[in-house]
Amino acid sequence: MKQFFAAVVILCFLITGARAQSKLPPVDKSPMDMSYYPNGYPVLKIQDKATDPIVARVIYSRPQKNGRTIFGDLLEYGKVWRLGANEATEIEFYQNVKINNIKIKKGRYTLYCIPYADKWTIIVNKDTDTWGSFKYDIKKDLARIDLPVQKQTEITEAFVMAFDKAANGASLIIAWDDVKVSLPIIF
Amino acid sequence: MLKHTTTYGVIITLIACCFTSCTSISNNKAPVEITRPVIEPAKTYNPYVTVDVSPLDISYYPVNYPTQLMNGNDSAALLARVIYSRPQKNGRTIFGNEAPPKCVQQYGNYWRLGANEATEIEFFKAVTIAGKKMAKGRYVIYCIPFENKWTIVFNSNLYSWGLHPDTTKDLVTVDIPAEKTDKIIEYFTMVFQESPTGANLIMAWDNAKAVLPISF
Repeated sequence: MKQFFAAVVILCFLITGARAQSKLPPVDKSPMDMSYYPNGYPVLKIQDKATDPIVARVIYSRPQKNGRTIFGDLLEYGKVWRLGANEATEIEFYQNVKINNIKIKKGRYTLYCIPYADKWTIIVNKDTDTWGSFKYDIKKDLARIDLPVQKQTEITEAFVMAFDKAANGASLIIAWDDVKVSLPIIF
Repeated sequence: MLKHTTTYGVIITLIACCFTSCTSISNNKAPVEITRPVIEPAKTYNPYVTVDVSPLDISYYPVNYPTQLMNGNDSAALLARVIYSRPQKNGRTIFGNEAPPKCVQQYGNYWRLGANEATEIEFFKAVTIAGKKMAKGRYVIYCIPFENKWTIVFNSNLYSWGLHPDTTKDLVTVDIPAEKTDKIIEYFTMVFQESPTGANLIMAWDNAKAVLPISF
């Protein structure tokens, strides 16, 4: 525990140190991005082509592979991961949806992941506006779902989350390095 | 953001890359051209979404709220956050009297305060801005910059791309003074700072800076 606090103190020091150098924040190495469902909703909206209502939006950061082995090395199997970098990944639903047959009410949530070699456990958690998975609280879980890991031949350099249309809703594609998973969202 | 640009039938032109941060308004109903240049193309192969050259970022008030929360300092309530994209100066003249491409952002013209999606600000409790009450909630924020002042507009047309505003949905308009900075700010920046009455939203790019006071 002492070591943990020491680590936190050092981390605070590093963060404040980095901030102190320039008053305004530098651009992040793992830039933030967002994806909408329907895909590209903001563009459709200003083109008057948004025939379907907005359903979901994910805001996440995009770390890069940068020659590293990601799964099983940079990210330890079996440990909670923030699905990105920096702030915990946020998903917002603009209507009620179902994940793994559990009703998720319209609202903002945090997505976490526990990666394994052959499956990822995706977690929908009630906490929001947190950093990383350091404050992950299992008691705030709303839904968990195990998704099979699909190997890809091509490397995805920057971590990505994007929605795809599916038969009874949408799939959230999550991919990095040589793997991807597909999270079914029913609505 | 965009899955496959082709999905939208939009044309990506490299020439137009220079103007992603700029905000040419087309009032006619011509197809909207959306440019999504990639950052270091060779390094960021991605079958789904390329990494944007004007990356998204988020600023909270209290400042660094998520890291404070992580460190167990959850005494102060979350009050505001802004989600915006960060275009770069990249050797260009950003603000000026002349139209693009001479100036990226011409004085007196609409500016989305960023790039790509319209910039979004959320207040987690009611606030007062320039004597005007604003309810808790989410707004689009945009700007009409002039040399000595910026007109800041809050608008309700959420989840829209920032190419042009729907001015029929303007809610509150505030003029704030614009100042010149000593140093060049390469990346457009929006960040909150504590103030005696609440918080200031600092907006800065190139050699210009404006401060929006927010009272809680």
